[in-house]
Amino acid sequence: MDIEIFPHRILGSDTTESLLNDLESLEDVKRTVIHGPRFPKGEATLPAKYQERRVININGEDVVLQVKTARIFLEISMESTIDDVEEICKKHIPYGFDINQDRSNYIRKQKTVTDRIKYGDKELPDELVGMTDQYSTFEDHVKIIKKDD
Amino acid sequence: MVQIYPGTSQVAQNRRNFTNPEHELEKLREISDEDVVKILGHKAPGEEYKSVHPPLDEMDEPDDSVRELVAPIDGAKAGDRIRYIQFVDSMYFAPAQPFLRARSYLSRFRGIDTGTLSGRQVVEARERDLEKLSKTLLETEYFDTARTGIRGAGVHGHSLRLDENGLMFDMLRRQVFNKETGKVEMVKDQVGRELDEPVVLGEPLDEETLRAKTTIYRIDGEAYKDDVEAVKVCQRIHVSRSFGAFNPVTGW
Repeated sequence: MDIEIFPHRILGSDTTESLLNDLESLEDVKRTVIHGPRFPKGEATLPAKYQERRVININGEDVVLQVKTARIFLEISMESTIDDVEEICKKHIPYGFDINQDRSNYIRKQKTVTDRIKYGDKELPDELVGMTDQYSTFEDHVKIIKKDD
Repeated sequence: MVQIYPGTSQVAQNRRNFTNPEHELEKLREISDEDVVKILGHKAPGEEYKSVHPPLDEMDEPDDSVRELVAPIDGAKAGDRIRYIQFVDSMYFAPAQPFLRARSYLSRFRGIDTGTLSGRQVVEARERDLEKLSKTLLETEYFDTARTGIRGAGVHGHSLRLDENGLMFDMLRRQVFNKETGKVEMVKDQVGRELDEPVVLGEPLDEETLRAKTTIYRIDGEAYKDDVEAVKVCQRIHVSRSFGAFNPVTGW
């Protein structure tokens, strides 16, 4: 099952980093998708005092943020995880948030024509389906983070 | 007392404050004349005003009693061009909002033309008068550095979620938050042309102050339905304009 975290404000890089780190520490969270407005193209040329984008570190892996965090989709398997997620969100998001679970799928689970155009006849593992948007390259948008053993 | 706006809530009181020309608005920040010119972007600071007609004194105008009654504003006297400033107010507790701006502009300023849209409010005036009124609008309660945007173009954003630091979405990124000083700076003019030096607008107001100053009824702030007097007046206007002059008892 998928859930959606909908913060009442768009999250900055620092909050995103700490929130994702805590969410990743949950055993049940399989996949995470960050959804939101893209950073402007000129972001890198701005003076440091105005910059919002930075490389964040999740479970020891550097992740280049492509978007500001407006929604987070999580793939989980147990209903009880939602309470843990809520606790973590309360800690990091002081402006309020919603956790939505009305849809059965927030992350796409089926292969589409676009996947076929993009990856050709290659076998695409199930866990990578729905992780990219059709306008971007795979490397730009997907980061595989190993769980702690 | 002049009845400017009905209601007993704080929002209604704030609306009355803005609309009542006798009420002096609180001055929250200092922005120099030169910075105002830079933000407007209609001319370079220090440049002469361009004119579209000779000064009124030099013009041979026909005799007219209204011309004698109404004193022209400075810009009209000098023959300035008509220029504009446009504001966008966030739905998240911005101090002013478009319809209120229209009402209050018309009761506070002379010689203006203002246009209301759902998310933005433009005001046009002769150039030197516009600069004067822009200064008032930027320095007083009308403006909050985070929740109000000065946007001549690319106005989208009044109904979007705010950024974490309280700033309203701006696709052209004119007003940016300086992490080092905690102040909002204007790095582009109102239509998005880069400025040589950023104009420091100041710190955003905190959430509590904004909620006290806002003129927007919101279900998570002061709900309109809770302001019984305001709703009653609204309903009365609705009924009387629906009936027009029709009297249902007599049938005509």
